[in-house]
Amino acid sequence: MTDQPSHRQSYWRRILGQTFVRWGARLGLGWVALLAMIGIFAPFLASSFPLLLSQNGVWSSPVLTYLQAEDVLFLIAFFSLLLVLPWRISGARKLGLFVLMVSIGGGLAYSYVDPPKLVIYEQYRVAEREGVYDWVVFAPVPYSPKDYQRDLGDTGLEAPLSQADRPHFFGTEQNGADVLSRMIHASRIALGIGFVATGIAMVIGVIIGGLMGYFSGIVDILGMRLVEIFEAVPTLFLLLTFVAFFGRSLYIMMVIIGITSWPGFARYVRAEFLRLRKQDFVQAAEAAGLPLPSILFRHMLPNGMGPVLVAASFGVASAILAEATLSFLGLGLVDDPSWGEMLNQAVQSSRFNWWMAAFPGGAIFFTVFAYNLIGESLRDAIDPYLSKSN
Amino acid sequence: MLLSVKALYTWFKHQPEPIKAVDGIDFEIERGETFCLVGESGSGKSITALSIMRLLPQSGLQKQNGQVLFKSGESDAVDLSELKESKMREIRGGRIAMIFQEPMSSLNPVFTIGEQILEAVKLHFPQLSASEAWERVMKALTDVQLPDPETRVNSYPHQLSGGQRQRVMIAMAMACEPDLLIADEPTTALDVTVQREILRLMKALQQRTGMAILFITHDFGVVSEIADRVGVMQQGKLVETGTTDQIIHKPEHVYTQSLIAALPENLARHETHQVVQDQPPLIRLNDLAIHFPVRKGLLRRVVDQVRAVDGVDLEIPRGQILALVGESGSGKTTLGRGILRLTEPTAGQITFDNTDITSMKPAQLRQFRRNMQIIFQDPISSLNPRLSIAAILTEPMKVHGIGESREERIELARDLLQQVQMEEDALWRYPHEFSGGQRQRIGIARALSLEPSFIVCDEITSALDVSVQAEILKMLLELRRQHNLTLLFITHNIGVVEYVSDRTAVMYQGQIVEQGRTEDIVNNPQNDYTQQLIAAVPRVPL
Repeated sequence: MTDQPSHRQSYWRRILGQTFVRWGARLGLGWVALLAMIGIFAPFLASSFPLLLSQNGVWSSPVLTYLQAEDVLFLIAFFSLLLVLPWRISGARKLGLFVLMVSIGGGLAYSYVDPPKLVIYEQYRVAEREGVYDWVVFAPVPYSPKDYQRDLGDTGLEAPLSQADRPHFFGTEQNGADVLSRMIHASRIALGIGFVATGIAMVIGVIIGGLMGYFSGIVDILGMRLVEIFEAVPTLFLLLTFVAFFGRSLYIMMVIIGITSWPGFARYVRAEFLRLRKQDFVQAAEAAGLPLPSILFRHMLPNGMGPVLVAASFGVASAILAEATLSFLGLGLVDDPSWGEMLNQAVQSSRFNWWMAAFPGGAIFFTVFAYNLIGESLRDAIDPYLSKSN
Repeated sequence: MLLSVKALYTWFKHQPEPIKAVDGIDFEIERGETFCLVGESGSGKSITALSIMRLLPQSGLQKQNGQVLFKSGESDAVDLSELKESKMREIRGGRIAMIFQEPMSSLNPVFTIGEQILEAVKLHFPQLSASEAWERVMKALTDVQLPDPETRVNSYPHQLSGGQRQRVMIAMAMACEPDLLIADEPTTALDVTVQREILRLMKALQQRTGMAILFITHDFGVVSEIADRVGVMQQGKLVETGTTDQIIHKPEHVYTQSLIAALPENLARHETHQVVQDQPPLIRLNDLAIHFPVRKGLLRRVVDQVRAVDGVDLEIPRGQILALVGESGSGKTTLGRGILRLTEPTAGQITFDNTDITSMKPAQLRQFRRNMQIIFQDPISSLNPRLSIAAILTEPMKVHGIGESREERIELARDLLQQVQMEEDALWRYPHEFSGGQRQRIGIARALSLEPSFIVCDEITSALDVSVQAEILKMLLELRRQHNLTLLFITHNIGVVEYVSDRTAVMYQGQIVEQGRTEDIVNNPQNDYTQQLIAAVPRVPL
């Protein structure tokens, strides 16, 4: 035993530091962060409602009036994250506080936010043309995702930037809605389904895998059979069946992807726990008479989380793909745009409109690629044999 | 002169400063002699051997130079450091052979040992016919006294014991009749009785073939048994060379002197604690058995039992240190964990201070655990890498209601660190920031945090260098006196046993074969197995 160089850094700092030294992970994280920002501020980036206008000297902001409850929830989540992160308290407390703030905010948002039921997208455009307002500020993309621009005549299937008077950067789809606007709003679904489905899978997988690894014996045997049963379920066909029975719902999709993809996590956690069980520090915790929850969650879980996080970043990618596949097959959401559904629109048209395939397809590709890059770097950082410094 | 190393440097790339693993050393090895390189871990002895063989990956090196003159047979001396890679490959294995510490990982598990030796022979003697080459393989295996070589030649590495594997490694090295054998800690992973046989074998082979041996070890007992001349290494430098007798009895360099003084054999004796006759023993084991079922097949049916501990009766008197000695696989670690019920006993009874703990319910046992603690062998895995030292020390206290508030417990932890001679600011640091010896001290502090009366010390010094071992042992004896502790000291090192323990029990195949006062056991063993064991211990002549 020789003396080692001493760093005053916790393990996770070190791992994250090593992960994001790699350019791939930085690129991936950058892309995901960009998508997250776009998703959170979607109503302010792409909306037919002006951000700010002045009518007879009275200022108003129609975009705020028309905010949906879920838009408000996203904003609350974002700002509570900003508020909580800089505090110098432990990670678990931060998480608890964050969840508390989001659930209170969410409750308030869903009970008090009440946008007008009747939505006329073109009213502000028409009013502006008629010169009713003193001045008006529109969003960077001045079209809502479901604004079919009836006031402008037939706007279907216009190539990007083909109309000088109303720029559609990514063109329009067959109903006449702006493709860029639809993609901006769809980024929420892509991110949401990835995180929620993987979150559900991770929680179930960690609990079942942890119990299997710690108790081994009969618990392990039964657990492994359960894992094998769930691994045999073909997710896509189960999803198809559920859509057929219960209609199309984003939440059902999240839950099903979640409860069919936990076995991978359970396997990883089980293997880690079987290894950790024999480690001396776990034996020491047991010899000190510590209660079971402390042994499991304080002494074992943090030491076995590495492979789980790697699996999670790949899991997010595959959940996004699953949703895109389903939407592409025409079994996704009815009304709201999603990247997969936009690809489906692209092939339904009689002639090939490249902008309708290239942009959503590219977005799916880069998002899945970004998560895989992060997962790859995380795996290398956790592997002590590939460790960069030390 | 067979090998002459002059101004050998091997520096590894590292920020901000290169690691000077080998920092300018000179030595010579004569034909037919055994030269021992001794030093503590990290002193650069293995790197020296690898540098001579040019087996280090070039990409990690900052600087490697020096002259390694090697004179084989009648030919002129060649400088190995400047030899072409193709020529070097002929020398490796052919003229200079090497054996390593861990024979299991040095042998390829998917080939039989015969095939592996044959490959080496064919490589270096392409002119031999198939039957001649095979004869050579058989001769090599016979030479290393592998029992029943005709059948063993077709076995796979995992079918052999550790000692047999090391014999195979030696056979492979010897098959090409090298002029120099480099042995890097070849007996460290072996039990003492096996170690003695391997050392004897190497001596016999050396006498027959006249090869030279470069023997790397950290164990002065082994040195005194095998070496003709010794070189002592410290931090990449060769601080002293001389004959074995000189180094052990009249060391000149300060570092060598401190190493020799730190040997457990040379530590000042302490007086043994006398048993207070009328007090009952603290721990009493009645016919304790721990069996592990061997399960096979789809239904995991129990087909056999491994009897790790097989009917042990033992008493540990209050305030005494009982050493539990035995070779690997004798069940001593299982017994230690069984006493604490970290491994569930299959049968028998454990009485702790007149309380039967074998029948305790889990909740009751959890409360009772503060009376008995354990310290582990491996300083790396014994501390949770994600928790600060403060958390490691205070969590058990909190669970057992020691200390009113967090501040008070932190204060207690600070006090514990002082007792194990560590700085206070260690509290806010993490395990990976400490060296092995320091971690072992923290492990001791953790065991003491619950104010136990009984501690199992499971090989606590076997992963440490001798100088660190000496400090830890001294400290442990002092703590025993202060806290009136009773210790079960599990070890395989007889020197440590003599230094530290009052009583000794010898374990063999799950059973206690002999127990009594340490002086009696060590100086006058009665049991056959104990006699063998004591005789096999390599001793530094005092």
